[in-house]
Amino acid sequence: MAVSAVHLESDAFLVCMNHALSTEKEEVMGLCIGEVDTNRIVHIHSVIILRRSDKRKDRVEISPEQLSSAATESYRLADMTGRPMRVVGWYHSHPHITVWPSHVDVRTQAMYQMMDQGFVGLIFSCFIEDKNTKTGRVLYTCFQSVQAQKGSEYERIEIPIHVVPHEAIGKVCLESAVELPRILCQEEQDTYRKIHSLTHLDPITKIHNGSVFTKNLCSQMSAVSGPLLQWLEDRLEQNRQSVIELQLDKERLTQELATM
Amino acid sequence: MAASISSYTFSSVCYHSANSNSDHEGFLLGEVRQEETVSISDTQISSAELLQVVEVHNHEPCAQLFSFYDYAGKVNDENLNRILKDRHKNVIGWYRFRRNTQQQMSFREQIIHKQLTQLLGVPDLVFLLFSFISTANNSTHALEYVLFRPNRRYNQRVTLHIPNLGTTSQQEYKVSSVPNTSLNYAKVIKEHGAEFFDKDGVMKDIRTIFQVYGALQDRVQAVCGEVEQNERVKEKFQEEVNKLKQQIALRKQKSAEEERRLQEAQNPEQRPTPEENSEPPETSLLSRVAFHTPSTPERLGPSANPPSYADLHSLQDDSLLPSLSSPTSAALLPRPQAVGSPGHPSPSPLGLNPSPAPSPSTPYLGNGDGSSSDSLDRQAAGQEEEEEEEEEEEEEDDDDEDSSEYENLVSEVAQLPPVTASVLAQGRPAALSPDGDASVLGSQTS
Repeated sequence: MAVSAVHLESDAFLVCMNHALSTEKEEVMGLCIGEVDTNRIVHIHSVIILRRSDKRKDRVEISPEQLSSAATESYRLADMTGRPMRVVGWYHSHPHITVWPSHVDVRTQAMYQMMDQGFVGLIFSCFIEDKNTKTGRVLYTCFQSVQAQKGSEYERIEIPIHVVPHEAIGKVCLESAVELPRILCQEEQDTYRKIHSLTHLDPITKIHNGSVFTKNLCSQMSAVSGPLLQWLEDRLEQNRQSVIELQLDKERLTQELATM
Repeated sequence: MAASISSYTFSSVCYHSANSNSDHEGFLLGEVRQEETVSISDTQISSAELLQVVEVHNHEPCAQLFSFYDYAGKVNDENLNRILKDRHKNVIGWYRFRRNTQQQMSFREQIIHKQLTQLLGVPDLVFLLFSFISTANNSTHALEYVLFRPNRRYNQRVTLHIPNLGTTSQQEYKVSSVPNTSLNYAKVIKEHGAEFFDKDGVMKDIRTIFQVYGALQDRVQAVCGEVEQNERVKEKFQEEVNKLKQQIALRKQKSAEEERRLQEAQNPEQRPTPEENSEPPETSLLSRVAFHTPSTPERLGPSANPPSYADLHSLQDDSLLPSLSSPTSAALLPRPQAVGSPGHPSPSPLGLNPSPAPSPSTPYLGNGDGSSSDSLDRQAAGQEEEEEEEEEEEEEDDDDEDSSEYENLVSEVAQLPPVTASVLAQGRPAALSPDGDASVLGSQTS
């Protein structure tokens, strides 16, 4: 097999979770950037959030432009880390649905594998709740596609995936995380621009549409930008505390070493 | 009662949990408010119901287990205050993350909860339990979460809602106006509607809200930059601290070896027993970690810090490990625990699975037999389901992760060599489960 396992850095995992939990009404998707080692383990160091050009349910396809800008992003990451980075996989979310890839997902994955045997697919299933036990669930899985034994259909194969601890959040991951509000706003602007260009609308309809834009932007700010800012501030505070404690630790250990 | 938690806080808890190779716990900060919901029914004109809403704003992770309580579950007020500092009054609950455990509060957690309720003065303190399970081949993982209200009768569970964008509702845009031939209508709306638009025909509101959005995004970007710098500083300090710890450990090891050599030289007939150990716990366990190949970084015992992945890598460099064809992959395996997997013997150091795997996921640690845990399969439609064997919960030997089911064994396990610990864990009768119930190991409640 082309891939033996996937190691997802925990800060990249954080960004995926943020993205997957951003909306329960539609599937979100992104690309995974990383490298494959000689043991055929795919290491995912960061992710890129993508815009969904086709928001139809159960259709997650990446446009060539997106792939190309993702490639640019990976060169940037390669520059920063000094290691060869490239797009190694894709992820998308399944809100309220089972984590297993649909037939479309498996086919899409097979398509990507034609370009790159080592391409992997990740799925995050969220907003699942067992009403009886009031248990919420978030699941994630990793898969590739193989030709089914009978017929020309594809079927999935499971790939082990592990989230690898990464105590500090990487720069690229932070940047990806704050891209989300920008991408959402961009999507909204593009939609509104198309509507706005329709000239046959009467003023009331125009006011209505403008209000929808305002409402949607407000929704984005309160559901995404606001909580994101709050989390960043909390993280800043947590880090400050950690640094103080680490400094004390360092002093203590230095003294201990000196006495030995 | 309703409860909500921001998606960023939730992901952050998952992130901290993923970074810890043992259980993880912390405090939930936020507020509880009363919401009045008015409902009209046939019998009354209106009835107002008071709904308590618990909002989790952020979390305060504890760096280690047992940071504010001891083995007996006694909470230490001083340590608690040290962790919480001035956020004392914002605490509305606490949380715990465990792997491969039941969705129930353990006995220790219940004791701690009662004390926290008193010490913090929050009568309706909540407890959020995260439990993590994986399929046997580690391809699929599930994080389950339940919010408990333990201070209520019957340990009530509350649905935890994660607010999100929900309907981005781009369908709400109207692409056509309702047809209307009335000239009066057209005249009135054009005249008075003009208020809304500026000279370019763009709605004023849109410009305004866009400015608000722009300012907010700029602020997000700025704080992000600060966080990034902060993370690098923290990383640097962490590296330095780790290096110092390593140096100390090596020094201690060297001096212990010298002592042993001296002793051997003095008493050539007497052979020192393996238990006779003048080494401090960290060193002996660190070297055990180095020899114990296919496992995750083991829990060193509650007093010492668990080794980070960096530690494990540098230990490898010291070539304490027997040379393997794939040492990196074996050592990097974070946690091979799988619920519902058949009781296999520990995998060989190369991670090759003796049994042929129907799902070709290859020479990788884990059973690879494609069996998946029942609770994950529940939602799958048309997936092949293998007989799930629930008699033995864990087959791999790094059960030193401090999941609550093993809390009672903690002090014993820390002293035992790893293999024995796993055998203990496998063979542990159900009666030792901290809940005191007779549930069979490996059964999932949810």
